[in-house]
Amino acid sequence: MAPLSLFSVFVTFLLSLTPALSTNSEGNALHALRRRLSDPTNVLQSWDPTLVNPCTWFHVTCDSNNHVIRLDLGNSNVSGALGPELGELKHLQYLELYRNEIGGKIPEELGSLKNLVSMDLYENKFEGEIPKSLAKLKSLRFLRLNNNKLAGSIPRELTSLSNLKVFDVSNNNLCGTIPVDGPFATFPMERYLLPFSSLTLSSVNILPFYLHFMDY
Amino acid sequence: MFVSLPIYDQLSPVIQLFNQFLSFLLIFLLVAIIPDLVSSSTASVTSPFTYTNSKVKIAQERKEAKALLNWKISLLIKSQSLLSSWAGTTPCNWVRINCDQSKSVTHLHLSGYGLKGALHNLSFQSFPNLLNLDLSFNSLFGTIPSNISQLFKLSILNLSANQFIKKIPSEIGQLTSLYIIDLSMNCMTGLIPQELGMLSSLSDLELSSNNLTGVIPASLGNLRNLTTLYLFENQLSGSIPQELEMLSSLSDLALSSNNLTGVIPASFGNLSNLTTLYLNENQLSGSIPASLGNLNNLTVLDIGNNKLSGSIPQELGMLSSLSKLALSSNNLTGVIPTSLGNLRNLTTLYLYENQLSGSIPQELGMLNSLSDLELSSNNLTGVIPASFGNLSKLTTLYLYKNQLSGSIPQELGMLSSLSDLELALNNLTGVIPASFGNLSKLTTLYLYKNQLSSSIPQELGMLSSLSDLELALNNLTGVIPASFGNLSKLTTLYLFKNQLSGSIPQELGMLSSLSDLELTSNNFMGVIPASFGNLSKLTTLELGVISDNQLFGSIPRELGMLSSLSNLELSENNLTGAIPISFGNLSKLSTLYLHMNQLSGRISPELGDATQLHVLDLSSNQLNGEIPKELGNLTLLIDLFLDNNKLSGHIPNNFGMLSNLDRLNLARNSLNGLIPELENCKKLWVLNLSNNHLSKFIPLQISNFHFLQYLDLSQNLITGEIPQQLGDLKTLEILNLSHNALFGSIPSSFVQMLSLRSIDLSYNQLRGPIPNTKAFREASIEAFRNNKGLCGNATGLKACPSTISQVVAIKKFHPRSEDSVVNLKAFTSEIRSLTEIRHHNIVKLYGFCSHPRHLLLVYEFLEGGSLEKILNNDELAQEFDWAKRLNVVKARIMSSDTSYWTSFAGTFGYTAPECAYTMEVSEKCDVYSFGVVTLEVLMGRHPGALISSLLSSSFASSSHDVPLEDVLDERLALSTNQELEKVVLVAKIALTCLHTSPQSRPTMQQVYQKLSNWKSPFTKPLCMITLRDLIDLGNLN
Repeated sequence: MAPLSLFSVFVTFLLSLTPALSTNSEGNALHALRRRLSDPTNVLQSWDPTLVNPCTWFHVTCDSNNHVIRLDLGNSNVSGALGPELGELKHLQYLELYRNEIGGKIPEELGSLKNLVSMDLYENKFEGEIPKSLAKLKSLRFLRLNNNKLAGSIPRELTSLSNLKVFDVSNNNLCGTIPVDGPFATFPMERYLLPFSSLTLSSVNILPFYLHFMDY
Repeated sequence: MFVSLPIYDQLSPVIQLFNQFLSFLLIFLLVAIIPDLVSSSTASVTSPFTYTNSKVKIAQERKEAKALLNWKISLLIKSQSLLSSWAGTTPCNWVRINCDQSKSVTHLHLSGYGLKGALHNLSFQSFPNLLNLDLSFNSLFGTIPSNISQLFKLSILNLSANQFIKKIPSEIGQLTSLYIIDLSMNCMTGLIPQELGMLSSLSDLELSSNNLTGVIPASLGNLRNLTTLYLFENQLSGSIPQELEMLSSLSDLALSSNNLTGVIPASFGNLSNLTTLYLNENQLSGSIPASLGNLNNLTVLDIGNNKLSGSIPQELGMLSSLSKLALSSNNLTGVIPTSLGNLRNLTTLYLYENQLSGSIPQELGMLNSLSDLELSSNNLTGVIPASFGNLSKLTTLYLYKNQLSGSIPQELGMLSSLSDLELALNNLTGVIPASFGNLSKLTTLYLYKNQLSSSIPQELGMLSSLSDLELALNNLTGVIPASFGNLSKLTTLYLFKNQLSGSIPQELGMLSSLSDLELTSNNFMGVIPASFGNLSKLTTLELGVISDNQLFGSIPRELGMLSSLSNLELSENNLTGAIPISFGNLSKLSTLYLHMNQLSGRISPELGDATQLHVLDLSSNQLNGEIPKELGNLTLLIDLFLDNNKLSGHIPNNFGMLSNLDRLNLARNSLNGLIPELENCKKLWVLNLSNNHLSKFIPLQISNFHFLQYLDLSQNLITGEIPQQLGDLKTLEILNLSHNALFGSIPSSFVQMLSLRSIDLSYNQLRGPIPNTKAFREASIEAFRNNKGLCGNATGLKACPSTISQVVAIKKFHPRSEDSVVNLKAFTSEIRSLTEIRHHNIVKLYGFCSHPRHLLLVYEFLEGGSLEKILNNDELAQEFDWAKRLNVVKARIMSSDTSYWTSFAGTFGYTAPECAYTMEVSEKCDVYSFGVVTLEVLMGRHPGALISSLLSSSFASSSHDVPLEDVLDERLALSTNQELEKVVLVAKIALTCLHTSPQSRPTMQQVYQKLSNWKSPFTKPLCMITLRDLIDLGNLN
């Protein structure tokens, strides 16, 4: 009984410290990300969760309503994994996490970033499959997932991304076929795949493979 | 759990009456008394052994001594020294050991003795009389051996707070005398053995704080004497077994911090002895059973942090002993029952983070034992009850993040114990009660994001304990009370986004504990008090964006004394004078925002000493002179904005060392010289050097900025060609090179810039084709204006004179053995004629292949497909005016000028009738095709219908009376007479080529001659000319 009461007193104490935080879901989401990442060069040092909002944090950009619209952590020497909290950044337009050592799966919650224009996760250590939920990102123009360890196939669902202009999944361990609908339909596939005769992606990891359809 | 308590029967009910925290202390006091109680109780228990014969007794004593010493030597060396009294053959004299009258060991009390080692080496079978094994709070590791079941008289087993791993041995279920099992605070995994359900004497089962998985065994429902069941902090899953309702003696049940699902069994309402019930931090769903209201001994009910839904049962108001009620962090809806006002012993009420609605019952004001009331993060409406003024013991009141309205009751000022008052994020109106000045214990006051108005009561200056005052985001007016200077413990003062006015009181400079002062977005005027230089603990000072009228005067150099300062924001004021040189002393300064003021003078080189700077924004001031090269020392800089000043001279070369730079903006200055190479700025994603006098070339190294998204070099004096390498910027979205002196053509590599969405190349000397990509095609003409001849596929831009295309047309001669000589002759004559004629309207011959089996001619490809595409698109068709169309007709001539088509490339709609039947191709077939295409160009659509009506009817029929004007593309007007004559001539030629008899058709040679002198056969006006007139003139000769 005694330790339990001590425990609950402690929890109460902790909760009493955090009211300002719980009103700031975007700051909380970013702070949760910080806790998941190892940051040897202290690029996240300014991420102080006691601030009213995260708009003064470095590598975070807000709009005039203090909503986070950019997260710029490219080339930041961070490792660890992403978590579901990132899905709370409902106003995010640019998720720039390229060239780090981030591993684990791409959280399917990233599919709730309805305003996302650019998702740059290239040159990391992401594994697992490309989440189908990314098909919900209707504003997405740039999806660069190249140079990771992604496996599985390209989800058919991504064919609904009508604004997609750049799609790069080269240098992963993907297999299966390339979608042919939606933005993929206008992609001049033969130009890239004819030398390999079969329209599969089984050799994608050795191809300097680019799928792009901003043109034609 | 901390200690074994042989006193539970008599004392535990007493303890339970105490406040829990006090009881925790009390237990420690009682520990001192325990040994006496133990020896007296064990004496009676062990009395049956007194008759034992002395020889057996000695043998047993030696056996036990040997077993204990064997175990001792198995422990780590240091632990052995702790047990130095353990020597010889008489363990009953050793420390921490009790024996019965027959000198056999009954108690082993080694709690908190610092022992390290494993348990396997303790020979359990050597202790037939052991009743109490207490090894808690040591560092014992390894598994709990299953032969522990040999301690068959064991009554108390306490191995808590060690490092035991793996599973709980199910053999413990054989120790039927067990009264207490405490294995809490270890690292044990696996399931809870269902055999534990056989221990019918068990009163206390504590397995909390391990990593146990699986479900709670239903067999635990058999433990009819159980008073305490602690399984909290494990990873138990599944639902709470219904069978627990049979534990009628249960007083303390804690299953919190697991992954339990399902509902709270309604039958728990029958556990009438229950005093504490902890089910918090699970995944329990469903509603709160109203039957819990029957538990009239309950002092703690904590079911927070679950997924409970429905409303709060008003029956909970019957729990008259309750001191803590926590229903927080669930999905509860409905109103707060007024019956909760009956819980007169309640000290803690947590209802936060639900979806509770309605108003706060004023009955809560009757809970006069209450010290902690948290109703935050709900949908509560209405006013804050004035009755809260009665809660004289209240220390914490959280009502933030609701939709409370009305004014703040001044009665809250009576809560003299209050230390934490948070009413932020509501719709509260009216004034801040002056009575708050009485809250002498208040440390935190959050009223931000409401609609509070009027001035800040100067009485707040009496809150001598206050450390955190946040009144931001309201409609407060008036001045900052000078009395704030008395708030000597204040560390945070947020008043931003109000309508405060007047000057900033210099008394704020007395707040020696202040670390964070944010006054942005108010209507202050006057100067920045020099007294701020005393705020030695200040880390953040924000006085910027002070909308109406402004802070003026110069920045006090005293701010340079704020050695803790990390963030300084003075932007958007009317500050004048220079940036104090003393800022170089701000060794912890991380952000400096001075933009949009009237600051003048030079940027002092000393600023380069503020080496912790991450953001430096001096934009939109009147700063002049050169950019000090010392800024290149600020290697932590992420953002450097010096734009819109009067800076001159060169961009320091050492800016190339700013390897963390994300954004560099030096636009709108008078900088000259070269664009620096910025060799280490590999992270840049914004580079804006526009509106300067930068000259020479775009450095090739610019392609090293692999991540650039925004590049603006416009309005400079940059010359030379655009480097091919620029095409490597695959993530570039916005490119502006306008208003320079760039020449040459746009690099073909630009087609690789896949992300480009905005481009401006206007006002340069560029020529040649624009890349055929979407960004260029969709750019406005403004993006290309004023160059030396850009062309290509964009609205408003001229098409390029000849397509530089890899697509070619190939004409293949069938090598028929019988007339191969003829074939070869025709082949060579065509090559000759094409190489001799050089005219831009004549299709180009790229090359040929002469091989006995393959005679191939390779031509420039004139896109047939594009003709149809253009004619089908009204906009494009209008641009394709008569002059262009007539040119195309001439260009067609040579491409068709051959009698030796063997593989007809046209579609069936362009083929002469006799050719379609026989596939025998002749020159006359080509002439016919030429006629069809020409007519299509003039009509703006395929002339199939017209041709068939002309062919199928006699010359006399009315279909020949159609005026030529009706046949021509109605989307184009004929502007000049000259054009008109040409159109009529071409129409006539086309119709002649379509003659049904191949012999009546002209040769291509004749067509070419006719088109060369452009003589119209008519003098009458266009509207009078019919098709008959054209055909009537017979063939061209």
